Amino acid sequence: MISLEKRLESNISWVLFVYSLACIVGFIFTAFLLWSSGTDIPKAFFALYKGSLSSKKAIFSSLNYATPLILTGLATVVAFRAQIWSIGQEGQVYAGAMSAYFASLMFYGAPLWIHLLLVIAFGALGGALLGVLSAVLKNKFHVNEVISTVMINYIIIFFLSYMVGGGPWTEISDVNTTVYQQSDPVADYSKLPYLFGSTKLHLGFLLAILSAVACHFLIYSTPFGYEIRAMGHNPVALGHRGTNTHKTLLYILILSGAIAGLAGVTEIFGTSHRLKSEALYGLGYTGIIVGMIGGLTPLGTIIAGIIFGGLASGALYMKVLAKVPAALVPTIEGMFLLFFLCAGVAARYKIVVTGKDV
Amino acid sequence: MSELFQEAVIISILAGTLRIMTPILFAAIGELVTQRAGIWNMGVEGTMIMGAFVSYVVATQSDSLPLAILSGILSGMVMGLIIGFMTSTLRVDHFITGLGLNLLVGGLTFFWFRIYVKGGHPPTFTGLENFSIPILASIPILGEVFFNQKPLTYIAILSVPVVSYFLYRTRWGLEIRCLGENPKAIDIKGLSVALRQYIAIIIGSGMTGLGGAFLMLGFSDRFQPDLTAGKGWLAIVAIIAGKWLPKGVFAAVLVFAFLESVAVHVQIIDADIPYQIFFALPYLASIILLILLRRKTNQPARLGVPYFR
Repeated sequence: MISLEKRLESNISWVLFVYSLACIVGFIFTAFLLWSSGTDIPKAFFALYKGSLSSKKAIFSSLNYATPLILTGLATVVAFRAQIWSIGQEGQVYAGAMSAYFASLMFYGAPLWIHLLLVIAFGALGGALLGVLSAVLKNKFHVNEVISTVMINYIIIFFLSYMVGGGPWTEISDVNTTVYQQSDPVADYSKLPYLFGSTKLHLGFLLAILSAVACHFLIYSTPFGYEIRAMGHNPVALGHRGTNTHKTLLYILILSGAIAGLAGVTEIFGTSHRLKSEALYGLGYTGIIVGMIGGLTPLGTIIAGIIFGGLASGALYMKVLAKVPAALVPTIEGMFLLFFLCAGVAARYKIVVTGKDV
Repeated sequence: MSELFQEAVIISILAGTLRIMTPILFAAIGELVTQRAGIWNMGVEGTMIMGAFVSYVVATQSDSLPLAILSGILSGMVMGLIIGFMTSTLRVDHFITGLGLNLLVGGLTFFWFRIYVKGGHPPTFTGLENFSIPILASIPILGEVFFNQKPLTYIAILSVPVVSYFLYRTRWGLEIRCLGENPKAIDIKGLSVALRQYIAIIIGSGMTGLGGAFLMLGFSDRFQPDLTAGKGWLAIVAIIAGKWLPKGVFAAVLVFAFLESVAVHVQIIDADIPYQIFFALPYLASIILLILLRRKTNQPARLGVPYFR
């Protein structure tokens, strides 16, 4: 029988060893997958390097890919730190993108910075509204947040599919066919501006980093941050202390939803410049992995987000140069998550094998 | 829209309900066994995709549907083994394990699928045939709805009383239910908690894999990446809405299947109402069901709580 014994003191070098081992095993499995698909492995890894790190352009592309992942990762950190298993980030990204798109049409003609601020604010608002919805379902009706958020994700994805596939936002040339399911391109002046002149790194990246720093201070240095962490450790004690845990849950889900909504804004107005499901799909679910691998800390999430952004950017080159299917990326991400989870157990517990099972 | 109320369409909607019910019911009844053993398995969706994909590959390679179904079940069991290892042996959080596995399998099957077709057209297979029960199938309306289905549909319905008997009338069933309420009682008797949890999740995931195989072989002739489209999640909702009782789960699955069948028919008829609204209905209904049925839940007390001695 295998049982676990808690390690009394944490040993930094052991922890580092375990997590590096998880990375190495992850790479071996990745190489094995590539080999089993008949890919030239050195060529594939070279393509990965070329698409993610080799030039300024590649690095900026990686950071652009990292932007929404850092944001959805942060949304995960805020909720999961409080042991609220909201997986509504996916739907909140969609909601944020849609309400920001609405704002970009609604406030067309406003002065540039006011327009951009409204677009960004509406994006956060859209995500936050979905957060409110799951919080109310949990607080008032005791609906498990995992279930409610997943169901809302599916509903909102169908909603976008209608809005750009036959509904009012369908691309004008596409109304009768609705093949592509996308909106018209966003107006030039609604696009998030590039940070350094001609290079393509957009404002969203700055927004993501600032959000992460803000989350860091919020979680570790404010009373609300204390409540988030206390909720994760012992919600009953938090209630006895006099905190209204229903309110805390509501605020946490609003914050988490707003951050995820921003991810939708950065993706639509920074990168794809059109409202379409294809651009948004999976950002929320990947964010869960990013937040988890970042150790549920804001700064760890930045690092994990950038690594995964590089992976996504490099995957384009791997597809073209080494004919590796792009679906390799979510596979690698899921694999690393599971290995990190196992490593987390090995870091915290001693694994003891005793006697026989009956 | 009025076309929806013609007799032929109504019969087709009802027959479709039973067909769509089949994979969700297999997954829900299987997952019920898992959850009664205290494991909050969120990996149903991923297990289902895996079952569907493996059965697709075997069906196209071997041309043998029984073999394809069997391999779907086996792949589900392997998934169950992994989930059991993570949740029962390593005591990783049950939610995170399931979510991680869903993401991994979603990507992995898509990756394998791309490699399998090598950029060409996906190979196809001939799916499961309907089986008309003699005499009964010739009853007007009822015959077409109930007695002209695929054999696995009957097996799915039969699995409800069988699993019910297993859980409530056998020693193993009692022990599994005990794990969900008070695993310490099993441990104190000197019985292995882990062994029984593994058995429960392997049975459950095997049934989910079977559901995935039916989803593949009963509806389509080729794989597509988002084949399950949330059916695994609906299975989990059906368990909560059905208050962890076999009959209740069955009823909830029927509701979802009916709504989905309506959605499919609306899309075919090409009504003026956007078809997306109808496709969103099962998910909307699941939230409403959970709100309405929130009183008197029968949730196993230790569901999702890792057991430490």
